[in-house]
Amino acid sequence: MLLEQKLIEQILDTALETGADFSEVYIEDHQSSVLQSVSGRLEKSNNTKSFGVGVRIAKKFQSVYGYTNSKNPEDLIKLAKDLSKSFNDESLTKRTPLMELEVGKKHHVKIKPSEVALQDKVKLLKTAYKHASEFDEVIKQVICYLVDDEKEVLIANSEGRFVTETRVKVRLMVSSVAADKGMMQTGSAGDGSGKGYEFLFEEMDIPAHAKEASKVAKTMLYADDCPSGVMPVVIHNAFGGVIFHEACGHSLEATSVAKNASVFCDKLGTKVASDIVNAIDDGTIENAWGSANFDDEGYPQQRRVLIENGILKSYMIDKINARRMKMEPTGSSRRQNYKFSPTSRMSNTFIDNGTSTIEEIIANTKYGLFAKKLGGGSVNPGNGDFNFSVMEGYMIRDGKIAEPVKGAALVGNGAEILHKIDMIANNLDRQRGMCGSASGSIPADVGQPTLRVKEITVGGRKKGA
Amino acid sequence: MNLDKLFKRAKEKGIQDLEIFASDRNSLSIDIFNGEVDKYEIADTNALTIKGIYNNKMGHFRTEVLDDSVIDEILDTIIASAKEIDSLDDAIIYEGDEHYEDLQDIYNEELFNLDVQKKINHLLALDKYLHEYDKRVSVVETMYSENTNAVILKNSKGINLSNKANSAYIGGNVIVKDGVDQRVGFDVVISNDFNDFDIETIGKEIIDDALASLGAKPVPSDNYEIVFSNGAIATLLSAFQGIFSADAVQKGLSLLKGKLGEVVGSELVSIVDDPFMKKSSRSRSFDDEGVATAYKELVGKGVLKTFLHNLVTAKKDGVKSTGNGFGGNVGAVNLKLEAGNSTLDEILASCQKGIYITNVQGAHAGVNAVSGDFSLQSSGYYIEDGKKVKPVALITVAGNFLEMLKDITMVANDLKMSYYGVTSPSIKVKSMTVSGS
Repeated sequence: MLLEQKLIEQILDTALETGADFSEVYIEDHQSSVLQSVSGRLEKSNNTKSFGVGVRIAKKFQSVYGYTNSKNPEDLIKLAKDLSKSFNDESLTKRTPLMELEVGKKHHVKIKPSEVALQDKVKLLKTAYKHASEFDEVIKQVICYLVDDEKEVLIANSEGRFVTETRVKVRLMVSSVAADKGMMQTGSAGDGSGKGYEFLFEEMDIPAHAKEASKVAKTMLYADDCPSGVMPVVIHNAFGGVIFHEACGHSLEATSVAKNASVFCDKLGTKVASDIVNAIDDGTIENAWGSANFDDEGYPQQRRVLIENGILKSYMIDKINARRMKMEPTGSSRRQNYKFSPTSRMSNTFIDNGTSTIEEIIANTKYGLFAKKLGGGSVNPGNGDFNFSVMEGYMIRDGKIAEPVKGAALVGNGAEILHKIDMIANNLDRQRGMCGSASGSIPADVGQPTLRVKEITVGGRKKGA
Repeated sequence: MNLDKLFKRAKEKGIQDLEIFASDRNSLSIDIFNGEVDKYEIADTNALTIKGIYNNKMGHFRTEVLDDSVIDEILDTIIASAKEIDSLDDAIIYEGDEHYEDLQDIYNEELFNLDVQKKINHLLALDKYLHEYDKRVSVVETMYSENTNAVILKNSKGINLSNKANSAYIGGNVIVKDGVDQRVGFDVVISNDFNDFDIETIGKEIIDDALASLGAKPVPSDNYEIVFSNGAIATLLSAFQGIFSADAVQKGLSLLKGKLGEVVGSELVSIVDDPFMKKSSRSRSFDDEGVATAYKELVGKGVLKTFLHNLVTAKKDGVKSTGNGFGGNVGAVNLKLEAGNSTLDEILASCQKGIYITNVQGAHAGVNAVSGDFSLQSSGYYIEDGKKVKPVALITVAGNFLEMLKDITMVANDLKMSYYGVTSPSIKVKSMTVSGS
């Protein structure tokens, strides 16, 4: 137990003494390691250990949050007392006795990071370096990262909810730099998992990812500037799903919906996308990057169908915003760590398979951009305007993939683009990402099959045709 | 944690030199949503970063668990890390400098002691001001955040330094609607002096641009003269500040490699790192390695003068550290593009066919810090014959950072510090590629 149950109960009770109707304790014991190799040599081995307690108290829509990394009972009670001063009401809410929910059986981890010797981790980096650097002579620099993260959380609240969970994440990334004739381009690749080191030792094809990073860097080195203008864009599967994540996902989080700050407010049951679009946020996929047994308010994670045949079916809702919206929470509350109050966030979010094939989509596009690999992006939930960068792109000419192009950005509006998706292939895949928002940076999968957007603004350095 | 015990155990275990960097951070943040306190957060965290040299290699450990029971685990992990590290970099723990600047104004006790209710009331006043400003205002969210950060640096070579700074910001988000279009406004003002938080000034900064941009549409794709507002260009400078790091240069990851002493921008461009900037909570008299910080010109009248160094990169280049070793990397303290002589109005008046960009989005993804290429979602106003004609949104402005620096033709006198610590005036760039309709 991370803290004595009696102390947890005392904190929850103290928090309710001034009339709040909800109190919650979040305890986190965390360790992580980041290894970085440059040109094949281990340069950084940074280890972190943290422990912290977050206390949240609410009355109706109003919530207060505080945290400390002290384990001292007096400090913790004082924190609850200080926070409770924000409330002043005669009618008191009585706490429901804690009832521990059964520990989730999903997301089993075989080899925890703490059980792996440092030299075995370093070997993985050496393998990645070898394959990335030997790919081609234009590869001048290779930087590899190996990150692992092990976290034990305990969540208890005044409504009797009481859960504990161990969460593990591992990830290996390769970044290659290609240089020639004064030009320089980077390419990156990698993979991660909610499994333990068994994923890196047994499942991940590290050489393939390493070569991929170098291949992208080399391809982009000799690529021409992308033309600018409005054109059809075929977005490839897996990380291409960042388009949905940015353009629509964030605007479906209660954080913006509850405050009437999303373009999707009051749109449940209405058509928000073309008929072929089905979108899902699923926090229950076994050992996936964005999965967990419980969300950070202690509710079981769920599979949420957001859009079905173009109709908006659900938002992603946390407890406090659920009150504002007069709806039920959807198990969507997440946070980076104890330094953040939790709020509604995505988990593993993807557009589901369609009926076309990637070959059909390319063959049916006379002129356009094939965005094979997307970088990150951002969205303004207030009006849905989004942008994201294309890391690896090719022109499509006469139904065929043609020359590579660099420096492209896609900009558009989330509400509009969903209606403009006119072909979806059947090759759904997901990819790892880190999503930054109100409650910090959290692991989240994005995903989709290859799909086509009828028209979208492509920003490049070359004046359009 | 008993530090004497930590240093003693380290010595017993064969660690040659040890250094600790302790930080104690206090924070308060308050959000108001539609007239009510929506979020109220208080926090106090202590962390210790420990570096140790073993076999001439450096191991690192950062811990928030501060009882003596973890001392052995931490030291053993540092030794295990040092044994695996095969980087050719030197491991250096610094003996200290003769002189460290005395920074008086970076901690303001008055701000810390000001009654919380006064801070809440000020925020409520801002909320009211924004709500009543215009009937097209639909959603208002205002926020106040305050941080106090005290750090101590101590090592086995005798350094014992400390620094305490505080700062706050007040700001807001608004959504404005006119029945056809919906736009957002956002801004914050940063200071450690509460008197700088004038409701009307902040309110106008937040809302005027949002209202004026209602009905914004893309312009046709073409080349335009580009004026970046002080805030917009600060975003871009921040995204590219890594190119000044000697670490990036030595690893072949900076487009400034080999360009020391060369012209990298127009002669209107001077970029400095000012670690003593007033009212910046980032200001420091020593870096995380104990080296005295110093004011320095990175680019002077267009010429690249120096890179930013920490102890390791400086030794590799045979120079002295510039006091820019932060968080295990190299970085500027307060990066600043120096002001020019023009006014923003003069700059706008000089445009025949231009776009005044007041906001850029997605700088974390839309820039390639290695090649210098960027393509960013932007919004602002179309300028024709020196006059603001109409609001513009959903366009991208694309270019290359170094080419842009060379094409800067005017620099304004309206310096502003952005919330991520980069200070800049508005600037004009001769011509850039815009992608729109």
